[in-house]
Amino acid sequence: MSRGLSLLAAALLLACLLGLAVGEVLLGPADLWRGLLTGEGPGGFTLRVLRGPRVATGALAGAALGMSGAIFQSVLRNPLAAPDVMGFTAGAGLGALAVAGFGAGAGLSVTLGAAAGGAGAAVAVALLALTREGLVPLRLVLVGIGAGFTLTALTGFAMTRLPGPEAMEAQRWLSGSLAARTWGHAGQIALTALPLALLTAALVPALALLEMGDDLAAGLGLRVQRARAGLAALGVALAAAAVAVAGPVPFIALMAGPLARGALRRAGTAGPGAVLAGAALTGATIAVLADLAARAAVPGVQLPLGVMTGILGAPCLLWLLTREMERGGL
Amino acid sequence: MTGLHARTALTLAALAAALAGAALLALMVGTRPLAPAQAWAALVQPDAADPAHVVLRQLRLPRLAAGLVAGAALGMAGVLMQAVTRNPLAEPGLLGVNAGASFAVVLGAFLFGVNDSAALSALAFPGAALAAAAVFVLGGAGRGGAGPVRLTLAGAALTALLMSLVGALVLVRTEALEVWRFWVVGSLADAGSRPLAMMAMVALAGGLLALALGAALDALALGEEAARSLGARTGWVRAGTLAAVTALCGAAVSLAGPVAFLGLMAPHLARALVGPGVRPMLLAAGLIGPLVLLLADVAGRVALPPGEVRVGVMTALLGGPVFILVARRMRLGAPA
Repeated sequence: MSRGLSLLAAALLLACLLGLAVGEVLLGPADLWRGLLTGEGPGGFTLRVLRGPRVATGALAGAALGMSGAIFQSVLRNPLAAPDVMGFTAGAGLGALAVAGFGAGAGLSVTLGAAAGGAGAAVAVALLALTREGLVPLRLVLVGIGAGFTLTALTGFAMTRLPGPEAMEAQRWLSGSLAARTWGHAGQIALTALPLALLTAALVPALALLEMGDDLAAGLGLRVQRARAGLAALGVALAAAAVAVAGPVPFIALMAGPLARGALRRAGTAGPGAVLAGAALTGATIAVLADLAARAAVPGVQLPLGVMTGILGAPCLLWLLTREMERGGL
Repeated sequence: MTGLHARTALTLAALAAALAGAALLALMVGTRPLAPAQAWAALVQPDAADPAHVVLRQLRLPRLAAGLVAGAALGMAGVLMQAVTRNPLAEPGLLGVNAGASFAVVLGAFLFGVNDSAALSALAFPGAALAAAAVFVLGGAGRGGAGPVRLTLAGAALTALLMSLVGALVLVRTEALEVWRFWVVGSLADAGSRPLAMMAMVALAGGLLALALGAALDALALGEEAARSLGARTGWVRAGTLAAVTALCGAAVSLAGPVAFLGLMAPHLARALVGPGVRPMLLAAGLIGPLVLLLADVAGRVALPPGEVRVGVMTALLGGPVFILVARRMRLGAPA
């Protein structure tokens, strides 16, 4: 493991410890240590039932989102390409509400609706952005924004059809939240995201070729379109796995890749495999820290994770834009 | 640019006639359908004892008026935004104006428990106007002329930021969510309780300012240097355009709530009908905007009986595909 990745992993570890220690009950290092080892003492219940599953679910969902974003950013060679910008988040929200609106409000079907909605929106956006010029990254982003606004309007319409308390519940879910997560959620995201991450790791050599450009990659024997489609499918599946446990949390997928890339470059080189792993670590760190900030921001009120990532992520998007402008990319 | 060509005048007349037809339809269609003769009688010889006449005068007439003002304002604002930013995707709603109004409305509901329609309208105006000004500055009507993509993304980023704040506020206070979730879909239904006359005056002022700037904007389309050599004072032109856009967007959002994509569709249809001149486009979009909005509103009334589909949802369904078509046609250079 390179120095850069070790640093990112250390940051994640620190974030997780903070996430476990800070809350309405503040745990000191001794309580934390004892609670973690024995599950007893003042920190035991907090860690086992309240914060442990929350931090684990958040870290794993954040990692899946970060890796998903990094895959898109590499495949499309555009730092602005991320599932959120491509309509995935908006589609997931609408899918979940559509399922909930049809009365099948049980937890599993809602998460399936969200995953299907997000994946459907991302595929539709990709197809709609495909022109004779091929898949131009900027066009993909633009079509994604247009589709996102349309889907959001439909979500708003669905919201007006819900009775008050259910609307509150739906709004909470739509914001992307880690409240009241159990070890079941953590297990679900671990079981879905880890195999997908392993599959992605197997495709890293293809990703490395793709980053050299289509012609060169084809010349070196890569089936370019097939590799690209496979990687994009993995990216969509990873985002869907995260949405299923945490709701449509915005901007983690967008932020993680560029931040990880920057950190890795500063610490040495950044190959495609290291960037993917780094983005997963960074995404997890962002998720845990943002959730901590959302819990602590307003005393007595637990804001959802997605509100905080939205507030953090929008300036990040603007910063990426400005940077790309200066490089002449836009 | 002196006077309008005969063909343009003919097109505008046809659009006006179509708008009159749509207006009549907007008076007749609803949960209580009225025959044309009935509608006419209610207009010229109102009978306070006839419930049909009351429906028409108290519900449908204000709704029609709000639709006309908001539609025309959004259409013209779209033309101005596309002209001054040279961006075929510029549209008030997509550029954060609606999110700004949303934020102002929710803030009012959150802090002061505002929940009546008139007060929400009054709050939406400054919210929309501030956001319009912000995105204009952010998206670089300023130096160097930013690429079209940057402005769209800046609008999306501003929208995301404001909507996250909205999300935080509505989750903390249920009353705010109840107010916001019905306001945010955009509706003409309670137009009667909104400050119609005042917003009509604001929109009119904005529209007249826009028309006065038409020739200068045509010069600006040739580029900064060329515009200066033609005698246009570009700084003043941009400032005037910003003032006009702010007035138009504010009035529209205040009357109709957030209506997306209309400011995108109207200019593109206008350009196809009357060509690229800013002044004829402003006139045509000022007619096409309300035409589309009224038709969308009427369609929403009959789409899912017994309820209504709000007009903001209908325009999003119509306008989303238009946006994607434009994005497909844009030349974005060689694939990266």
